[in-house]
Amino acid sequence: MDHSRGLDPVIEAYKKDVDRTLIRKNLKLSYEERLQNLMQLQKFANGLQKAGGRKQ
Amino acid sequence: MTDFAKILQLLSDHGVEFIIIGGAAAIVHGSSRLTQDLDVVYRRSQENIARLSNAFQEQNPYLRGAPPGLPFQWSEATIRMRLNFTLQTNLGDLNLLGEMTGGGNYEDIVDHTFEIEVFGIRCLCLDLETLIHVKRAAGRPKDLETIAELEAIRETQHTQE
Repeated sequence: MDHSRGLDPVIEAYKKDVDRTLIRKNLKLSYEERLQNLMQLQKFANGLQKAGGRKQ
Repeated sequence: MTDFAKILQLLSDHGVEFIIIGGAAAIVHGSSRLTQDLDVVYRRSQENIARLSNAFQEQNPYLRGAPPGLPFQWSEATIRMRLNFTLQTNLGDLNLLGEMTGGGNYEDIVDHTFEIEVFGIRCLCLDLETLIHVKRAAGRPKDLETIAELEAIRETQHTQE
């Protein structure tokens, strides 16, 4: 698989908005902790969606 | 909510050969982007298709977004007939791919994986370089932010080494 590919100006533009503090924080976690955080985030997002649905 | 732990446990208990890809793989690499489903590439061997069929027999797999009542049956024959499945199950949303855009099948990508241990299970995850490659190859506008984050993760890893 050839991974060689040059810089993409669109990607570079998006990269300016990436929160690198969050990345550094995530990299300190174990793989399992990262997946657990995702499941908690899913739960929170689903809760928000349900709450939004009830308001309508 | 997709129960990653239970899905991975099921796959592992049944001896399914699979590779974590997509958003969950990005999370493993340090992404903080929300993904609602688990994407895996599974090996298309006869034995593995049988294992995959058995693994989800009791989880009511059904085609996600399809109208209810379709004559969809989760079986070895169904898996043999189709390559990729976008499923809803009792454990959450699961995408089972026989082949992925820009990456190929299980055999094509297995050398571009690394082993992780999560929830007491050892499994394979697509490496960061290949994940970036396949996201770029897919060419979907919605992936642009993800690619930018993955490349930022790669840069951060390099500066930390």
